[in-house]
Amino acid sequence: MPADTRDRNARVPRNEDARLLTGRARFVDDVRLPDMLHVAFLRSDYAHARLRGVDASAARRRPGVAAVYTAADLGDYSKPAPLLVPPPPIPGLVFHACTHLPLATDKVRHVGEPIAMVVAESRYVAEDALADIVVEAEPLEAVGDLEAALAPGAPRVHDHLESNAAAHVVQRKGDYASARTRADLVIARRLLYDRGAAAAIENRAIVAQWDAPAEELTVWDTTQAPIPIRNGLARMLGLLESQVRVVAPFVGGGFGPKIMMFYPEELLLPWAAMRLGRPLKWTEDRQENFHATTQERGQVHDAEMALTRDGRILGVRDRFLFDTGAYDPYGLTIPINTQCTLLGPYDIQHYDSEFTAVFTNRTLVSPVRGAGRQHGVFVSERLLDIAARELGLDRVEIRKRNLLGPDRFPHDHRILFQDSAPLVYDSGDYLPALEQAADMIGYDAFRRDEQPRARAAGRHVGVGIACYVEGTGIGPYEGARVTVEPGGTVRVATGVGTQGQGHYTVFAQIVAGVLDVEVTAVQVVTGDTREFQWGTGTFASRGAVVAGSACHAAALAVRDKALAVASRLLDMPADRLELAAGRVRVRGSSDAGVALGELAAEANPLRGAVRPGTEPGLEATAYFGPDRGSTASGVHAMIVEVDPETAMVDITRYVVVHDCGRMINPTIVEGQIHGGVAHGIGNAFFEQLVYDDQGQLLNASFMDYLLPTATDVPPIETAHRETPSPFNPVGLKGVGEAGCIPTGALFAQAVEDALHGFGVEITEIPLSPSRLFDLLQRGSRP
Amino acid sequence: MNLSGAFTFAGPRATVWDLLQDPEVLARSLPGTERLTRVGEDRFEGAMTVSVGPVTAARFAVTVALGDKAPPERFTMQIDGRGGVGFTRGTASIALTEPPEGGTLMDYTADVQIGGRIAAVGQRLLESVARAMMRQALDALNRELQARLDAGAGPR
Amino acid sequence: MIVEVEVNGKRHRRDLEPRLLLSDFLRQDLQLTGTHVGCEHGVCGACTVLFDGEPARSCLMLAVQADGHKVGTVEGLAVVNALSPLQAAFREAHALQCGFCTPGFLMTLTAFLRDTPNPGPLEIREALSGNLCRCTGYQHIVEAVSRACGHPRP
Repeated sequence: MPADTRDRNARVPRNEDARLLTGRARFVDDVRLPDMLHVAFLRSDYAHARLRGVDASAARRRPGVAAVYTAADLGDYSKPAPLLVPPPPIPGLVFHACTHLPLATDKVRHVGEPIAMVVAESRYVAEDALADIVVEAEPLEAVGDLEAALAPGAPRVHDHLESNAAAHVVQRKGDYASARTRADLVIARRLLYDRGAAAAIENRAIVAQWDAPAEELTVWDTTQAPIPIRNGLARMLGLLESQVRVVAPFVGGGFGPKIMMFYPEELLLPWAAMRLGRPLKWTEDRQENFHATTQERGQVHDAEMALTRDGRILGVRDRFLFDTGAYDPYGLTIPINTQCTLLGPYDIQHYDSEFTAVFTNRTLVSPVRGAGRQHGVFVSERLLDIAARELGLDRVEIRKRNLLGPDRFPHDHRILFQDSAPLVYDSGDYLPALEQAADMIGYDAFRRDEQPRARAAGRHVGVGIACYVEGTGIGPYEGARVTVEPGGTVRVATGVGTQGQGHYTVFAQIVAGVLDVEVTAVQVVTGDTREFQWGTGTFASRGAVVAGSACHAAALAVRDKALAVASRLLDMPADRLELAAGRVRVRGSSDAGVALGELAAEANPLRGAVRPGTEPGLEATAYFGPDRGSTASGVHAMIVEVDPETAMVDITRYVVVHDCGRMINPTIVEGQIHGGVAHGIGNAFFEQLVYDDQGQLLNASFMDYLLPTATDVPPIETAHRETPSPFNPVGLKGVGEAGCIPTGALFAQAVEDALHGFGVEITEIPLSPSRLFDLLQRGSRP
Repeated sequence: MNLSGAFTFAGPRATVWDLLQDPEVLARSLPGTERLTRVGEDRFEGAMTVSVGPVTAARFAVTVALGDKAPPERFTMQIDGRGGVGFTRGTASIALTEPPEGGTLMDYTADVQIGGRIAAVGQRLLESVARAMMRQALDALNRELQARLDAGAGPR
Repeated sequence: MIVEVEVNGKRHRRDLEPRLLLSDFLRQDLQLTGTHVGCEHGVCGACTVLFDGEPARSCLMLAVQADGHKVGTVEGLAVVNALSPLQAAFREAHALQCGFCTPGFLMTLTAFLRDTPNPGPLEIREALSGNLCRCTGYQHIVEAVSRACGHPRP
């Protein structure tokens, strides 16, 4: 870090932990207000049906029921939710925005779509009343399979569109067609990635309270983006932004779907609380979560890679389908991430990528940790593995031959990223990371000695090594306000809420480093629009990069103010003063100096005037908006043993070498990586949302949808490399999603290597034991 | 979910045909059926209770419509069930033949769609539950048949 | 139905609906909101409490079943503003991120470490395998348990 930002006790334990460990931390479902009513939703059992009528009269008569709302009761409020992320200005781009309604009107388009809302004295009574509601629905053929969805004559999810195509995007650089004519080898494959759930352990929850005398609405929401939710609710409810307060207190895991979705429940509780004049609470149950919280990962790729005979990539062509679910309020972030991330750390001069987003009668899709990046990595890494096999090259060697060198930065890929900015890699150093990962996993020795020995003994062991590059830390901006209280405590307020990433500690470390105070003396508040009302939210691995940079800038401004006040007080030029241990003193002296708290009191006098050009107190607000994101990168390696009889895979070692620029707290970084890898292992081998061809989800419980447990996740060995980003003052890059990005590609490679001789080629993720068993039975290599 | 199979009734085809068109007999034979009443020519309505795995005693309002009737050889049955935990929809085709070894052979094939909570959490068990119910129903129908034959209600 | 239950050493006597879940009773009636509910079907383990000293899923039990029994929740672990050794080890090892599943892990582990004071890493992973965590990948939790039994690293 720059000299002014000290390595403030890098691996310091977290400020927020004591509250969380003792049960004192407040989550949304813990909010309890006098006179509060409880909400339950009647949801569609059909994936696709025409609604003929909803009769809620019996439910309204049930004792304890305060209100029942159907779409007909919403009046003007029954409007499609906002389009959250408009697509980037890519030439020729086609996009049909079809966003969800608060309650279904003429049609239901996925199982779990809300049809009616019951408000009652308790959740128990509200759920009883759901059974009283009579829905007249005419079931329609549902759209499931992506290719069938685009076939002529397929049933249409949205009647007003000509087909189920939600979007069509082409991005090209160079001239793939002519590069292909020069190729010695073209590898073409169909590659599949199926849906999974984000599965935060905390389900969504909302509490809404309308204070009629004060004309103020307060909403506690398990959201990753309280400020956009506040702004949208104010607009839709006809209130001033200043009349609405959205609080995202402790949030029990986000992983993407808790982003500013304007879920139906998020739209309806505030609206109904204003009408009923009583606070309302709704907490999602796990089964609702499986149907009503967004999901991700369904993509079908037809990709090819053209190479020279010495393994150099000439170009890549990719055509893919992206399952966007029944509506597309989150735009094209995911498939554009896929498109951009496919290029990885490699020098790919000719690229031709085209995708079609497809409406289906399934739950909505929005980013889930990784957000399409793993698909791009899966395609390029799998094609490289297959090319290495065809060319008789080592898998590490073929990667080395294609890496971008350290002299190639900033590297402009000449296509657009999801944030509408050009895809430019800010900095990176890929070869040493690959070599370090190969070294840590003992790649050469494993291939040379261990693997032949194990194979001779009848054991099936394999090694994999996969690279990725990850766009992180995108704009638009975040802000922070740093205040020194007269008692000496430093308070930091910022807009990005926390879902476990350690904001209360990491931001405190940044500010503590600048002001030279103890980390525990810095109290961070996040996720409350009353505390800080400018910014967007916690997603896209951007919290530390963007809000962290804002905290840094605000702390620098506070430091300057402290020096200025001390300069007046001590009658000493500011450049002769320094901050040390929470005090300002004469540089190099052993004087006690003046405590920051005293300076804060001094800067807020009861008499005298605040001079023009100065402000009271030791407080500063600063904003940071990067022109474009910073590019993190990494290499993962794993060793597996596969039992071909049972198709069970045992991960014996897992190595991560990663580079997220300057680290603030390496322990927190490691925690992010561990969690990401576990999520990736789940995606690769355990987790799959199984839909039938009529859009029914068949495994909507943790009994049938398997999250990895402590015995499924191996110990993860990590190494850090730090290539600072030039795009922000601290040199930060994001790390929240990194762990799960290369895991599927890596898993496929290592398992395939272990099953050398079985003729198995793995072109799909997730790969459950039963699916792997099928592949083993019939061999899958073309 | 596709269910198909064959079952041999120990009795003449005309009697089997009559039994399969009789809502009271069907109500007694289909497990969990609380009632089934005729509401029109070839149209019955009623209620059923089914337990599948973690979904216990789910109650369904059921409509059964018979169609494509070619007595005593074949007919179709459209079933539409709706309840608080989901829905079921399906069409069954039933063909009755008289094999040389005697009795009546019923070939059936049914395409059944199940949705909602019962599908989402009971899926692992649905097919085996459906098969078990089918077996119980056919055995019960066969017993009904024997009772009717013993009572001399039809020609032997 | 009249129910008498001792929670964290304190006796409560309430008239309860027979269908009220134990998790809802703790969270809503007693306002002990440290016990979290993640799945309501007994898989995730976030709602784990000690029922007469043994780990139990409070989302799978009715409050009336606790009549005459002792229930321990996460609020009962710390002693006067000081974290218990297990809680402190969780903090030192960064064994929690969002912290939502953490109370369930702490209750499971409190019973485990009472019965198995000196577990090896594999035993620890087995003991954790009935609780789901989406944030940590479990590694730092294993490390915290090792620390809590006096081993600095697993």
